[in-house]
Amino acid sequence: MRLAILGGLLVALIAPWFVKSDSTLAIAIYGFMAASLAVSFNLIFGFSGQLSMFHAASFGVSAYVVTILVTSYGWNFWLAIPCALALVVVLSLIVGTICFRFKLKEFYFAVVTLAFSEVLRLITLNWNSVTNGSLGITVVEKPALWTPWGTLTFSSGVSWYYVTLALLVVVFVICQRVLGSWIGQCLAAIRLNDQLGETLGIDVFKYKLLSFAIGSALAGLVGAFYGFYAGFVEPHYLSITLGLDIVAMVLLGGINSLIGPVIGALLLTALPHMIELSAELRIALYGAILIFVILVMPKGIMGLLSSRKNAA
Amino acid sequence: MTQLILGQLLNGIIVGSLYGIIALGVTLTFGLTGIVNFALGAFMMLGAYSTWYLYDVSHLPYPIAVIGAVAIVSAVGYVSDLTLFRFTRGNLVNGLLVSIGLISVFEALILAAFTTTPKDLTYVMPGAFHVAGLFLPKIKIMVCLVFLAIIFGTYLALTRTWLGRAAFAYAQNPEAAALMGIRTERLQTIVVVYSTALAGLGGGLYASMYSLEPTIGAAYILKAVEAAILAGVGSVIGALGGGIILGVSENIGSVFFPSAFRDAYGLVFLIAILLVRPSGLFGDKS
Repeated sequence: MRLAILGGLLVALIAPWFVKSDSTLAIAIYGFMAASLAVSFNLIFGFSGQLSMFHAASFGVSAYVVTILVTSYGWNFWLAIPCALALVVVLSLIVGTICFRFKLKEFYFAVVTLAFSEVLRLITLNWNSVTNGSLGITVVEKPALWTPWGTLTFSSGVSWYYVTLALLVVVFVICQRVLGSWIGQCLAAIRLNDQLGETLGIDVFKYKLLSFAIGSALAGLVGAFYGFYAGFVEPHYLSITLGLDIVAMVLLGGINSLIGPVIGALLLTALPHMIELSAELRIALYGAILIFVILVMPKGIMGLLSSRKNAA
Repeated sequence: MTQLILGQLLNGIIVGSLYGIIALGVTLTFGLTGIVNFALGAFMMLGAYSTWYLYDVSHLPYPIAVIGAVAIVSAVGYVSDLTLFRFTRGNLVNGLLVSIGLISVFEALILAAFTTTPKDLTYVMPGAFHVAGLFLPKIKIMVCLVFLAIIFGTYLALTRTWLGRAAFAYAQNPEAAALMGIRTERLQTIVVVYSTALAGLGGGLYASMYSLEPTIGAAYILKAVEAAILAGVGSVIGALGGGIILGVSENIGSVFFPSAFRDAYGLVFLIAILLVRPSGLFGDKS
């Protein structure tokens, strides 16, 4: 498993030497960012059992904060990120505290997080003086990185390819570390039976909140970069559609695996572009794939692979 | 000021009864199959477009067009239950995602067939009542009365008929109900199809008041789910109550606060209710 992941990473590292098409690179870049979102979401959903609908909000809020700080206040991109992440963490702690204190579960948790996320979306939509309403903000600035060999500006497709790949690796490793530690053990116990976990002395509230905050912060990290690559931020970033797309990616890849969401996200990002279709049929195809995956392979691609391995 | 508030109150009740009729479908489906059918918003949209097509394009009388639309939507609902929802019984997340996939399919197909250009029905029932300085379009009053009648009818059917009692029995204890000779599979299918028919009716009547776009369902299903939860899942009259509370709080809220945030008032209310009474306003305290 580990070899396969490292092999995949190696292929991804050398791919830009062989792939020259800009549109393919763009798909890969969006795919990496979607994969980072899916991996961080799976920390909350797959590994802690909380169907959070707040993920798109964390992503969008951070994208807005970084963009506004850079474009309106002339902040440095790298200084704006910690500020955005701090805000996302505070928001997720507030939402999480409310939900977990009142022991909201499953569907109720999903609806309340969705409600908070909609309120935030309405704020970005209507706070015209700061967020420019439904038009969103155009971002022309490109972040730059100072290295001993000179300033590296993220303007070309290839540079963004490596930035987003690094982002994915960072998010992946953080999630892996969290799950490999005692936190992961506690989360598994809570997911399987939180009352039993409580009697064993696990602070259920604390660990649920912890995984929610870490996952949301990682989504915020992705959001910080996303706006600068896409060139604009808009209220749609916080929409329920994005939240559900992330759920679909995780389910397609496989819910109880770290690498599954990466595969699911890359596939779902790339698939609609590989088949030549009109926009309407593309949406229909997306829905059909979602239904097919749920009904035919509920454990996702990774579930399919591991059951084949067990059978052999 | 009083007039403004009264007018908004009535508007809230009318919109709320539309939330209520879809919330009723949400509540029934959830009670009997354990899934939340998010596609009910898309079924409502299908009902609205079918009505528009039958009334404005095929020139049928409006009531017949609505009945035809309900029939079409129920048929689609039956087929989707047979091919999709039947396999997600009792699995909340899967049911949610299948219904969301279905929304994409329906919206894309309607988009491909009728484009995004908003469709407006020619006036079904022009005119308005003027009561104490209030302006009340006849059609809105009519629609609201139909919704109320349907919801109370459903309530009576659930409490007075064998099928309704079977549904209650099933919601309480599926196995015991099956042992008592209730054909549970068929009962679930009936409820799923009935809830899509309600959504179709909601859409058909919606079409007489507002213009149609392929995405109209999204806002209404969210409101309906909010209403169902607000009321307490499983409560029939509660679904109506929840819908009206939501509709009124939005409309009255936008009198005193910026109306751009009208969608937020209901949400804030919902969060507050859920935290104080997790089982909803009308739900059992358990």
